[in-house]
Amino acid sequence: MSSQDDQDEISRRSFLLSSGGMFTSLWIASHWPGIAAAAHHAEEVPADLTPAHFEFFDAADGADVDAICAQIVPSGATPGAREAHAVFFIDRSLSTYFAPMAPEYRKGLAEFQSQFKAVQSGTAFAAATPEVQIAFLKTADKSPFFETTRMLTVLGMFTSPKYGGNFQGAGWKMMGFVDQHAFSPPFGYYDANYAGFVPYGEPYGEKHA
Amino acid sequence: MIGRQFKPGEMVDFVVVGSGAAGGVMARELSRAGFTVLVFEQGPRLGPADFEHDELKYWFMSGITVDPKISPQTFRASPDVEAKRAATQPALYARLVGGSSVHYTANFWRFHEVDFKERSLLGSIPGAAFEDWPISYQELEPYYTKVEWEVGVSGLAYASPFDPPRSKPYPMPPMPVKSSGVLLERGARKLGLHAYPAPLAVASQPFKDRPACISCGFCMGFGCEARAKSSSLYTSIPEAEATGLCEVRSASYVYHVDTNARGRATGVHYFDQQKRSHFQPARAVVLSANGAETARLLLNSTSSRFPHGLANSSGMVGKHLMFNQGGDVHANFEHELNEYKSVQVSRVIHDFYDADLKRGFYGGGGIDARINPQPAIWALASGGNLPRWGADFKDRIEAFPRSMVAAGHTTSLAVATNSVSIDPTLKDAWGIPAIRVTYKDHPDDLKMAKFMQDRCAEIMDAAGAKHVWRDDIAEQSYGVHLLGTCRMGNDPESSVIDKYHRTHDVRNLFLCDGSSFVTSGRGQPTMTIQALAFRAGDHIGQFAKRNEI
Repeated sequence: MSSQDDQDEISRRSFLLSSGGMFTSLWIASHWPGIAAAAHHAEEVPADLTPAHFEFFDAADGADVDAICAQIVPSGATPGAREAHAVFFIDRSLSTYFAPMAPEYRKGLAEFQSQFKAVQSGTAFAAATPEVQIAFLKTADKSPFFETTRMLTVLGMFTSPKYGGNFQGAGWKMMGFVDQHAFSPPFGYYDANYAGFVPYGEPYGEKHA
Repeated sequence: MIGRQFKPGEMVDFVVVGSGAAGGVMARELSRAGFTVLVFEQGPRLGPADFEHDELKYWFMSGITVDPKISPQTFRASPDVEAKRAATQPALYARLVGGSSVHYTANFWRFHEVDFKERSLLGSIPGAAFEDWPISYQELEPYYTKVEWEVGVSGLAYASPFDPPRSKPYPMPPMPVKSSGVLLERGARKLGLHAYPAPLAVASQPFKDRPACISCGFCMGFGCEARAKSSSLYTSIPEAEATGLCEVRSASYVYHVDTNARGRATGVHYFDQQKRSHFQPARAVVLSANGAETARLLLNSTSSRFPHGLANSSGMVGKHLMFNQGGDVHANFEHELNEYKSVQVSRVIHDFYDADLKRGFYGGGGIDARINPQPAIWALASGGNLPRWGADFKDRIEAFPRSMVAAGHTTSLAVATNSVSIDPTLKDAWGIPAIRVTYKDHPDDLKMAKFMQDRCAEIMDAAGAKHVWRDDIAEQSYGVHLLGTCRMGNDPESSVIDKYHRTHDVRNLFLCDGSSFVTSGRGQPTMTIQALAFRAGDHIGQFAKRNEI
């Protein structure tokens, strides 16, 4: 197998693998390229998300992906993907550390867009009403493109803000994760009300070697 | 800590390949016995200031784990299909000084007495190379105690009715209970089971020169920023260096063990950071490179005398790979648990540890209560027809503080075709033939995992969970427990090392790490890897002093 074939196989599999079990998800992207100064690259996180900040997407693509992200994790009483700048994370990641999957992602996005326009008389996804967007996504949520967008949205909401997403910790606030360096007990409701460990006693007792 | 620095080409008593759970202990024991020791580690030397709370880096970008870009591997489920590079490294380990003991969860269960003699107790099992160990629990017990007191393990002795006999209590009390532990114990007591405080290789109070755990919550997959996790990086390695007899040479990748015409090991060839090759002579060589890399190094160390790899006259090098299986459930509760705080695990159940053939299959295991993985992994978790996007998906994510995992950890049977071998074409960034993993769970392993998952669900229901969900048990295509590939045994025709970790074929070549295992235990191997290393170090030191190497 040639090295290019290897890369293609890896790229294809990474694209398809995002709905597996916990451990599958957990290690899914462990083959993706190394950090490659991504952290430095993402250090300057702008407060306002505007198309001018996109590197991988053009304005129209960015708007469409942002609209998809906003349906994956909607805004509401708590922040959603839009407030967490998930699309900004996706843009940065595809132009840096996840670049090997970028060509396939771009292809998938173009197919998504053309399929949407075909059923919506040329309207862009971002310009459609939420009802129309949701109805369409229900027909398209099994595609590798959607799965990859879903995974990148999650990474963009819940990993460190230094990568350009999870803006001001919006994703962590939404899920109830406190970004603090040290904790002390009690940690939660149930251990705060724990009476203490009661030994099981005889017949086991102390056994000595 | 600066240890000894050997001159280029300077003869040493021992070369130890690998600085992880086993290599660190070997270096410590042999240098404290008065021998000069040069430890080779392929990865970098990092310290507390280098480690971060960065989920993307460590879980998704090979931050400290073996990087497929430079150290690729292939996988196949059976020997009759072509192995291919996979999205996940099939033999996954941490590649830095301290090895996988840097990023492990630090669950430190001892094996039980039955683990060493199940073949005699239960008989043969179709499709498995099921054997007793050549050593007993009683022979290893003093070294388990040594791990607890020298490396640093917290726990509560005699708390589990199923614990094997022990000669001393733990040196530190257990870590504070978490809400997941309270709930596991609550469910267990209702069902007549016995949850007990988890033994962990984490300092629950100041231990030797290390501070107590700060309960930051980033254990599994992360390096400890507090030096509280009892990794080789913070324990055996600096203690070995403190003898003045040991050098740890990081970023130095051993790719060949050399032998002479008499069939003795003469030293190793390695690449330095600039990929320049060097020869390092040694009077004896110890491989503690982990259950995948030790086998690969032997298989790559061919010569005219050893055309099928070193120490491989039995043909057993690389065979009988075991990953451990397991079956988990997720559970949501009414109130907040906040499992992302503190160590991974605070309660364990060993009621199902022993195999019971009346179940209709072989297997045993333990259950622990644990943190959900970190935020992104939690959000990506699937199973049980969970919502995948939209308002329902957001609701599920927002249950994060109210959720936990009950995790089963179970046996893997030794199967001859499950193996680490050399890929026929793929090479790593240094041009060295790469690891090929062949693996398919024995049917009993899958049944046991399912059995344990059902028990986990019952316990969570009994604890009052509002919602319990699970993934289907699946065949494994990668492992983080790399066990059994150079098994220990008395018979040179069916094993690679003897009961003192000496290879049957090469008198001054020793192997000690997960590869030495004969059976898999119940899913927490590092405690036993380190007990074996203390025992091996003791015996090898005595052999050396008696000039029996």
